[in-house]
Amino acid sequence: MLKPRHRAALDVLLPSGGHPDFALGAFDAGFDEFYADFQRQAPLPMRLAFRAALEAACWLSPLLIGRLPPLATLAREDAERALEALGRSRFYLVRQQLLLLKTVLTLHYGGLPGTRRAVGYPG
Amino acid sequence: MRLDLDAQDAGFSESFDYVIVGSGAAGATAARVLTETGRSVVVLEEGPAIAPKNFSEKIFPTFKNLFREMGGQVARGRAFLPVLQGRCLGGSTVVNSAIVWRLPNDVFDQWDALGLADALPRKELHARWDKLEKELKVAPTPQPVWGRFNSLMDDARKKLGVSAHPIKRYVDGCKGSARCLTGCPHGAKQSMLVSYLPQAESRGATLVTGARVERVLFDGIRAVGVEGRSRRGAFKVMARRAVILGASAIQTPQILQESGIDGVHVGRHFQAHPGCALIGVFEEKVDMWFGATQGFDADEHRRVGRYKVETISLQPEILFARLPGAGRRWLSSMAEARHMAIWAVQMRAYAEGSVRKRFFGADIQFSLNARDMVNMRRGLRFTADMYFAAGAKSILPGIHGLPERIFPGEQWMLEAGPSDPACYSMILSHLFGTARMSLRGCDGVVGPDFGVHGTRGLYVLDSSVFPTNTGVNPQHAIMGAAWLGSERLAEARN
Repeated sequence: MLKPRHRAALDVLLPSGGHPDFALGAFDAGFDEFYADFQRQAPLPMRLAFRAALEAACWLSPLLIGRLPPLATLAREDAERALEALGRSRFYLVRQQLLLLKTVLTLHYGGLPGTRRAVGYPG
Repeated sequence: MRLDLDAQDAGFSESFDYVIVGSGAAGATAARVLTETGRSVVVLEEGPAIAPKNFSEKIFPTFKNLFREMGGQVARGRAFLPVLQGRCLGGSTVVNSAIVWRLPNDVFDQWDALGLADALPRKELHARWDKLEKELKVAPTPQPVWGRFNSLMDDARKKLGVSAHPIKRYVDGCKGSARCLTGCPHGAKQSMLVSYLPQAESRGATLVTGARVERVLFDGIRAVGVEGRSRRGAFKVMARRAVILGASAIQTPQILQESGIDGVHVGRHFQAHPGCALIGVFEEKVDMWFGATQGFDADEHRRVGRYKVETISLQPEILFARLPGAGRRWLSSMAEARHMAIWAVQMRAYAEGSVRKRFFGADIQFSLNARDMVNMRRGLRFTADMYFAAGAKSILPGIHGLPERIFPGEQWMLEAGPSDPACYSMILSHLFGTARMSLRGCDGVVGPDFGVHGTRGLYVLDSSVFPTNTGVNPQHAIMGAAWLGSERLAEARN
């Protein structure tokens, strides 16, 4: 189970109604079920890395734009800016946290029929 | 006959003339050749057997079922570099793009200079490649399945006058579904799963899945079998004539190390072809999900620049993770996906790394060196030149320290980009050298007969034996060498 602060971070990263072509966000597209599957099947280092990336998003990313954590307390625009700052950090390991969050989210989101239709994927 | 050790309670303990470890390009080719001798052959594969009709077009189930460590295997160094390897019956041939390149003469020249002209003779290898190309229906990617993301490279070729061409592939009846990397659902790609393994099976080979080989068993210096584990317990398979390792440049050295063969060269000299992709954004719809997954490449700078540029189609799951932004801006990037193409620089790196067996699995160490980074940046610049010649309106470099998007006239930035490998998103493909061939035992791991120095009856037939990387996609070279090596050991008096 994801903690509320983790859900808030992922909801900022992949929000509902964020673009006309992609009406669903991570959670209304069923990320919770995917995450349960991921927890059961992914290798331990991958699961631990994802948890660490979630914590980095919650606690570290606000600091990178000069705001106090956690991320969930920021306005959406600031929270998006904070996550982007995470991906632009001068420190390699910090940058990787955003990439990891995006990778796990899109393992689910990119495979959804609605998402694929929106980008012209056949079938 | 097929056996799945993960599904059967009883242990497995049998004897065969030849025990082959690994069912990919090397192992399956060895099985195809050795079953012709009428001897008994077993192929041991760690992963599961999955039929093409059960391949998923989605990445998560594909990674779970077909890839080692669910696609999470990485090399460590200045950066984490994903090392994608198949872990299923057919090995990486199930999840690669079936690209065929004969070993270029300049690579042969290098190997000849190492004294391997008689061990890996070009004339004999060309004869094996003739056979392979006939049997596995090799042909250049036909124009009807190029798709726009491949034909754009042809447009760039015409405009710039550079050497680029449709890629030759092991494919029979490609539908252009761009699904090579998740396993061809049509069985058109002639992976080992649908070609040499069934052929060997029909001649009496036993194909065993769920069998992770841990070590080779010896009687004195003679290899007499292997032992390992499945999910249900331990197994042991004895070899009357030879044990053949074809488990890849990552697994083979670990098996050797675990078997007590831990000389200074085992797991060392690890070489690869690091790849780095640029995303081109076009005004027109590119729809990279129609066309041969990798249908076109540019080899203009293969020899001197040490890089090739290849088209590639990636599933939305993989593409999206590379796109810039967070939240709404990320979604806007995704919305451009229909207009994107991906072309990747595949580089013949100078750098060498290592592979060691550790408690948690393979410890792969690899970092690009300064010379490699110069070549990589030149390759990216060349790729950008091709993109803009083909009409791209912008490029998403995905390189830390460069703008998120670069426009025509700004491609110089790529050549002047950061020299730190950690600023780039790269993957490692095509793995070599961890049990390299040498004339003398003090210079390598296997001899000219593919036998491990200092042992009898133990052979390595995969790309571990290559003394250098090749600069071209290695499946054809691996299969040619495995064919040659198998014939030699079939003739040997073991």
